[in-house]
Amino acid sequence: MACSTGATVPSANVERVFPDKPLAASVTGYVNFGKRALAAFFGLAIALAGGPALHAATYYVTVGGLGGEPEFETRFSNWAKEVDKLVKAAPESKVETFEGGAATRANLRASLEKIAKDSTPADALVLLLLGHGTFDGLDYKMNLPGPDITADELASLLGKVRARQLVVNTTSSSGGAISTLRRDGRVIVSATKSGTEKNATVFARYWIEALRDPAADTDKNETVSALEAFRYAEQKTAQFYETQKRLSTEHAVLEDTGKGEGVKAPSPENGYGLVASTFPLLRLGAAAKAAANPAKQKLLATREDLEQQIDRLKYQKAATPAEEYRKKLGVLLLDLARVQEELDK
Amino acid sequence: MTLRALALLPLLIASAWAQTLQQAESFRSAARYQEASTAFRVLVAANPKNPEYRVRWGRLFLERFNKEEAANLFQEALEIKKDYAPALLGLALVAADGFDTRAVELAEKALAADPKLTEAHELMARLALEDSNPKRAVEQADKALAISPKALDAMAVRASVDWLADKADSPWMDRILDINPKYGEAYADVGHFFVLNRRYEEGIKYYRKAIELDPRLWAARAQLGVNLMRLGEEVEAKRHLELCYENGHRDAATVNTLRLMDSYKNFLTYKTDNTIVKLHKKEAELLHPYVESELKRAIATFEKKYKVKLDRPVQVEVYPDHEDFAVRTMGMPGLGALGVTFGYVVAMDSPSGRKPGSFHWASTLWHELSHVFVLSATHHRVPRWFTEGLAVHEETAVSPEWGDRLDPQVISAIKNKKLLPVAELDRGFIRPSYPNQVVVSYFQAGRICDYIAEHWGFGKLLAMMDDFSRSEPTAQVIEKELGIKPEEFDKRFLAKLEAQTKGVIDGFDDWRKKLKQVSDLAKAGKHDEVIPLALAIRDVYPDYVEAGSAYEFLADAYAAKKNNTAAIEELERFARAGGRSPVVLKRLATMLEEAGRKRDASAALERLNYIAPNDDELHRRLGGLWLGEGNTAGAIREYTAVLAMKPMDLAASHFNLAKAYRQGKQITEAKDQLLLALEAAPGFRPAQKMLLELSP
Ligand SMILES: [Zn+2]
Repeated sequence: MACSTGATVPSANVERVFPDKPLAASVTGYVNFGKRALAAFFGLAIALAGGPALHAATYYVTVGGLGGEPEFETRFSNWAKEVDKLVKAAPESKVETFEGGAATRANLRASLEKIAKDSTPADALVLLLLGHGTFDGLDYKMNLPGPDITADELASLLGKVRARQLVVNTTSSSGGAISTLRRDGRVIVSATKSGTEKNATVFARYWIEALRDPAADTDKNETVSALEAFRYAEQKTAQFYETQKRLSTEHAVLEDTGKGEGVKAPSPENGYGLVASTFPLLRLGAAAKAAANPAKQKLLATREDLEQQIDRLKYQKAATPAEEYRKKLGVLLLDLARVQEELDK
Repeated sequence: MTLRALALLPLLIASAWAQTLQQAESFRSAARYQEASTAFRVLVAANPKNPEYRVRWGRLFLERFNKEEAANLFQEALEIKKDYAPALLGLALVAADGFDTRAVELAEKALAADPKLTEAHELMARLALEDSNPKRAVEQADKALAISPKALDAMAVRASVDWLADKADSPWMDRILDINPKYGEAYADVGHFFVLNRRYEEGIKYYRKAIELDPRLWAARAQLGVNLMRLGEEVEAKRHLELCYENGHRDAATVNTLRLMDSYKNFLTYKTDNTIVKLHKKEAELLHPYVESELKRAIATFEKKYKVKLDRPVQVEVYPDHEDFAVRTMGMPGLGALGVTFGYVVAMDSPSGRKPGSFHWASTLWHELSHVFVLSATHHRVPRWFTEGLAVHEETAVSPEWGDRLDPQVISAIKNKKLLPVAELDRGFIRPSYPNQVVVSYFQAGRICDYIAEHWGFGKLLAMMDDFSRSEPTAQVIEKELGIKPEEFDKRFLAKLEAQTKGVIDGFDDWRKKLKQVSDLAKAGKHDEVIPLALAIRDVYPDYVEAGSAYEFLADAYAAKKNNTAAIEELERFARAGGRSPVVLKRLATMLEEAGRKRDASAALERLNYIAPNDDELHRRLGGLWLGEGNTAGAIREYTAVLAMKPMDLAASHFNLAKAYRQGKQITEAKDQLLLALEAAPGFRPAQKMLLELSP
């Protein structure tokens, strides 16, 4: 697999050798990508969500499209406004939001063309589509005031942008756009797995909730990655249908391999989720501040080392006697906490 | 139809054999059902105008669990010959099999067409006894015997009547066995009636006798298995049912019960000194603490209240899949859909199996537990109305917010004077004569027990229970304990009930009209108009707490006008009136929290533990509130519940539990949780900080 994530910030040291054992998610009891471990496993150099390049910007383009009925239109527009507020609060964010009459094809084109000019490969672009989409078996279209925009057109606009990209398509029939939009290094989140899932989705509601709810940041690195947000929204959506005892009319998928159909549960086994796990969707705090202080470089290196040891231990969990595992883990975690305390001073 | 038409042609060609009725019937009695069916098929094809062949073939289908095909054949026979008594009887048997009220009607029609039809009298006798009308059962049985002195099933009804009344010196079974010493069906009939009266252990005893006489009596053996299963005797039950299955007796009860047993591998069992709780793996960890503690609380309460000490543990099985639960209740008429009690075994739906807010599991548990006590105290000799009435009474005795509310079906029944006299109330449960009569009967029985407790004291209900244990009939018990005739009791009770419900009964139509107006006004955002109109109807039908209640409209309108105090007040009314919607109750909790009323907020949320506990957000919020209030044990339970639900945010969930343990000075447990939190998210600052604080 080629290194094609668009990342130009080389991770310090990815030469670590891991024990030769399958990457079973079950070894940790829950599905969680040890980012560094995965990077090493796949032999990739990728930008890490926790340590983003300095001065890299994230462009957020949000579109609240037509709804068909006034009720839906208000909903899409309110969602767009809410996202606008949330992402504007994030550090280094450049935000453009189109809703109501402003959500036109022309405005969206102009915005993406400008980002193509301004952005660098160190930046990130999050395109969020809220609204109603259709798929006629060949072409996907998102409904906008005036002319609609097609998946082909979006693909060609995005193709000119050098920043890393996440496309979150929460519209009905969004699955119909996956094969047109997918590309190496691009993360696609789609509320439906196919173009034939035509009902209005609830996925968008939970995607936005993921931007608001600290619980979405499951690894607590103060950054919600694309993968974390996807898992959050996907599970909440499934729960919604389950508790309402309704037949699910939408099945969200994530595609970040550049060639797949997308999956509901990205994991090391199915090869999905690697790029998404390193895509910083929303930074919650000033996680990377310490990196700027040269006096703390040594501590940072120690932290990095401890983190690696923990990852390694976790991957050996199944093969390690429980008591020994617990003990070792306890020591490492305590050391890590101490180093962090020093860093925070 | 297709089933029978299949492959008819080649059979006609090869019909040299098995074309007489005798041959068909002898195949049938030899349990060679396929060949019997083939023979009938040929007979019917050759004699399309003969109704008898069709009826006989239909009876074969009925015997082989295919009611639809049987009913079709009986209908066809009736088309050939109008009012053909055996066909009418066949249809009556089909109806009786499904506890369908039309059974009596059809049997009467059959008798009108042929007064000498012994079997129709036998069926009438059986139906009467199923309706708890032994007098009528005896009359009908005697009519059958007058026509045919060797009517064995009629004698079995007479034996059942005697034994159900604990008359030991009944001559009937001896007479039956004198005529046919291998007639196990008679004992199976008796077993059937005992089971219907929820006297499972005796029922089992009779089914055992049935198969002792005739080991190939698969229907009886299947019933033996099903009922052993009900009492938790799984090993023996399985043996019988498998034997039935292997021998081709594959009726729904056998097949489904075997399937249910197979699904038990997915259940976990938790035992204490007086409880056994069986929960599905996927929710066992979450539900176990709630179900077990509520079960223990109910047992302790009832032991005092009923002055009965249970002599063995109560087993409670909770089914997330309603189909599994349904198998448990199969073959029992008119059962409430949520829970069922067999002796010391209670089976019930899981809250996860129903839409959140539609089911109060704890209320159901207390209801079923009341049955356990009543059945145990009366040795299962209790009329249906009484045990149900007491159980319904207990639902609201635990908390006035529990229990089912007065619903429109009941309102309509009271209005249209459809309530039954107390002495006949059992009929409303066993063989309802209008669609919602079972529901109405539950309600009525509950209110009757409320009324007795209120006017004569709860002690009278216990005295009645004692009388029932001696099989005294309802009319006699009412007169003896309450000092009035049943007719007088009905009069007073109805007067009281009508007075209590007068407002809603008279105002119902107007209420409905205005609620619609309120809803329209709310949609149009006319809050100032919503408030007076909703206030005017709210107390007309205060029990209405379903979606779109006056409470909710009022709360919305007040909230829109920034009057949160009034909004909270309406939502509190909703909760006190028995409102169960998780969305509304959570909203109440949120508003209370915002108003600084944390304790009330946690009380609002705690209600949901009894309604919709499959909700990690609920436990997280409640845990947080309790932690703040210093209810450490409560916080630990709630945060443990969050983890049992395998939450997405594992790190924060373990960390929360660590906080609760720390507050409870359980430092080791707190550290364990911190390690788990940090295992999931090694860089989780708050957990790191606490770990340092707790580490020397
Ligand atoms: Zn009951």
